[in-house]
Amino acid sequence: MNQNQAERLQAERKKIENEFDITQYEHVPRRYYGRIFFATLIVVALAGLARAFANGQIEWGYIGQFLTSEAILWGLLNTIIMSILAMLLGVIIGVITAIMRMSANPILRYVAITYTWLFRGTPLILQLLLWFNLALIFPVIGIPGLFQLDTVSLMTPFVAALLGLSINQGAYTAEVVRAGLLSVDTGQYEAAKSIGMPRLQALRRVILPQAMRVIIPPVGNEFIGMVKMTSLASVIQYSELLHNAQNIYYANARVMELLIVAGIWYLAVVTVLSFGQSRLELRFARGAGKRS
Amino acid sequence: MRSIVKAVGLNKYYDQFHALKDVSIEVEQGEVLCIIGPSGSGKSTLLRCVNQLEKIDKGGLWVDGELVGYRIVGNKLHELNDAQIARQRLSTGMVFQRFNLFPHMTALQNVVEGPIQVLKRSPKEANEEAIELLARVGLADKRHSYPVELSGGQQQRVAIARALAMRPKLMLFDEPTSALDPELVGEVLSVMRDLAHSGMTMIVVTHELGFAREVSNRMVFMDGGQIVEAGSPEDILISPQNPRTQSFISAVRT
Repeated sequence: MNQNQAERLQAERKKIENEFDITQYEHVPRRYYGRIFFATLIVVALAGLARAFANGQIEWGYIGQFLTSEAILWGLLNTIIMSILAMLLGVIIGVITAIMRMSANPILRYVAITYTWLFRGTPLILQLLLWFNLALIFPVIGIPGLFQLDTVSLMTPFVAALLGLSINQGAYTAEVVRAGLLSVDTGQYEAAKSIGMPRLQALRRVILPQAMRVIIPPVGNEFIGMVKMTSLASVIQYSELLHNAQNIYYANARVMELLIVAGIWYLAVVTVLSFGQSRLELRFARGAGKRS
Repeated sequence: MRSIVKAVGLNKYYDQFHALKDVSIEVEQGEVLCIIGPSGSGKSTLLRCVNQLEKIDKGGLWVDGELVGYRIVGNKLHELNDAQIARQRLSTGMVFQRFNLFPHMTALQNVVEGPIQVLKRSPKEANEEAIELLARVGLADKRHSYPVELSGGQQQRVAIARALAMRPKLMLFDEPTSALDPELVGEVLSVMRDLAHSGMTMIVVTHELGFAREVSNRMVFMDGGQIVEAGSPEDILISPQNPRTQSFISAVRT
């Protein structure tokens, strides 16, 4: 830039500044009266709610007492075990179903589609009852000539709950996994092949780690959902948290107190899980660019 | 000279579309072949057939003396299985238009992935060699960067290093500079030029006529799924015989 041009730019700037000389004025932020009004309203409502609970006929002492009682803690442990096992099995079923669903073989594909349709299309509680009562139609199960088992003794509440929850979960997870696999660019398959990877290795080393970024948030949500869905297993006598809490209040009639106890534990488990989920998401976000 | 690639009467269909029509071509060891032609002419398809990203419908293709994708049984060709195809791909390296680096791995991890996971080489040895390769493409200092943190030109150079890490006998380049900003084309071409001078056998699908003229031993012009004209770079670029070649060259030049 030469001397002349610089001077001209300077002169132009001066002219503009003289014309609109508000450069020294103070900026006053706008006030949001609507927001202030509604925030006040909510605070008042919450205060009323707190007062109602404080004056309600709740024996707070019972809650503290039963929170760590043996039956409740056993129920909690059973809930956690069932959530983990059912979710694990559900994810395995889901991955297999997703891969079947994307197969070129029409039989594999349609079996996967039908499975998803059937188990997403019926209520979970109905499925649990079906598994639990399987002995009514099949007194013995097994492979003819190989082994046979008495259905009643096999289909304990634990087994029925595990089958019901995981097979139902698998149908949902299959769709999540499929979306995850489809989200990976076909160029990634080609690049993996081009360095000599067979299909399974490409899936394990290249495709799945990238699909995980898409899969983890919804599967995390479903895990949280699973923790709460295990409570449905109380209808088939699986002694999880809610079932044990109910057993106690059938005896002592402290219904609300025990429901609150169960609620506190469900919340605690879910909180821990949410924390774990965000850690896992960070891990699989490697190389995914900077995002908030 | 030994031939590395030999294609005899290749045909390829996408449903009704006849993408390759009786293509026959031979590439000798150490040769750099550039393929040019309008889009949809089948040049990328031909390249992708060489390392079996596309399946051939008719004809035969030999890479390094081995029939690609099939086993001859009597007078029939039986398709090979996944593992056999994967093994055959080891003789070729491929560089893609869109780089296709693994985004969840650093530059170094991208380069060592094949040697460690596929060739089962020791991580220490593979890492050392990978760093050398990254230095060769001028990116030793970027080895811990993820692909998102690299420019297009840098990503493509890592992709070249990744392909070289498998010690291929043949390198395939599918429009390696077409997705790059103009100012980044030079750095990739310069890496490819060095590679060509080192004696690597290369097949390059490209629109960079200047590069093709400087580096290639032989050029092929394709149109409508056929090889229309083949010859030295001077033959094709300066005195093309076929009218389709002539009009393509003059259209690209302007």
